[in-house]
Amino acid sequence: MRLEASFAVAASGMRAQSARLRVVAENIANADSTAATPGGDPYRRRVVVFRPEPDRTLGVARVAVDRIAVDRSPFQLRYEPWHPAADERGYVKYPNVEPVVELVDMREAQRAYEASLQTLATARGLLLETIDLLR
Amino acid sequence: MSPLEAARLYGTVAARTGAAASGTTDAAPAFAEVLRQELEGAAAALRHGEAVARAGLLGRASVQEVVEAVTAAELALERVTAVRDRVVAAYQEILRMPI
Repeated sequence: MRLEASFAVAASGMRAQSARLRVVAENIANADSTAATPGGDPYRRRVVVFRPEPDRTLGVARVAVDRIAVDRSPFQLRYEPWHPAADERGYVKYPNVEPVVELVDMREAQRAYEASLQTLATARGLLLETIDLLR
Repeated sequence: MSPLEAARLYGTVAARTGAAASGTTDAAPAFAEVLRQELEGAAAALRHGEAVARAGLLGRASVQEVVEAVTAAELALERVTAVRDRVVAAYQEILRMPI
């Protein structure tokens, strides 16, 4: 197994985790995005789904973003009759985004990214050290 | 000097020394041929690295892709230069040999 193959895998891990971080950023940024019309649905929380992606030329399994799915859990209801998106009873639907959950997800994405980065750095260092044996 | 040019020069030098040594009818490809292939591979990796880095600067490739391609190119170059240094050192060693 060529050590270079681990670069490709680690880089795909970094790409996948940055996609996850992007989704977390969307969720956090849209945590208060309500509907434009009265009684309409607000922003729905998104979750990223990963899948293994076999690479036949290198004989390894990379990781790829399968799809960005939506979280089907119920919206939060708040009584805000003055709000333009309030329904006839005065309730406004707020996104099903839980900031604490998003923060934990963000930290997980960060750690996973760092782990892939460390893998890449280790493989690179090992290869350079091996080549240095020729000198 | 471009890697390909260097590969061509190695090829001519190795062909001359190979002819001088002669006698050895090996089925495996000549060392010069192997070195040439390796150098061409490194040159291709460098070109790919440059292309991806350019795409990255233009915003068409992600930072991770740029890092991946540039690291691969860097390592290919390291490997080839290490082998070249070793070969040149051996060649000079032979030249210095008293006859």
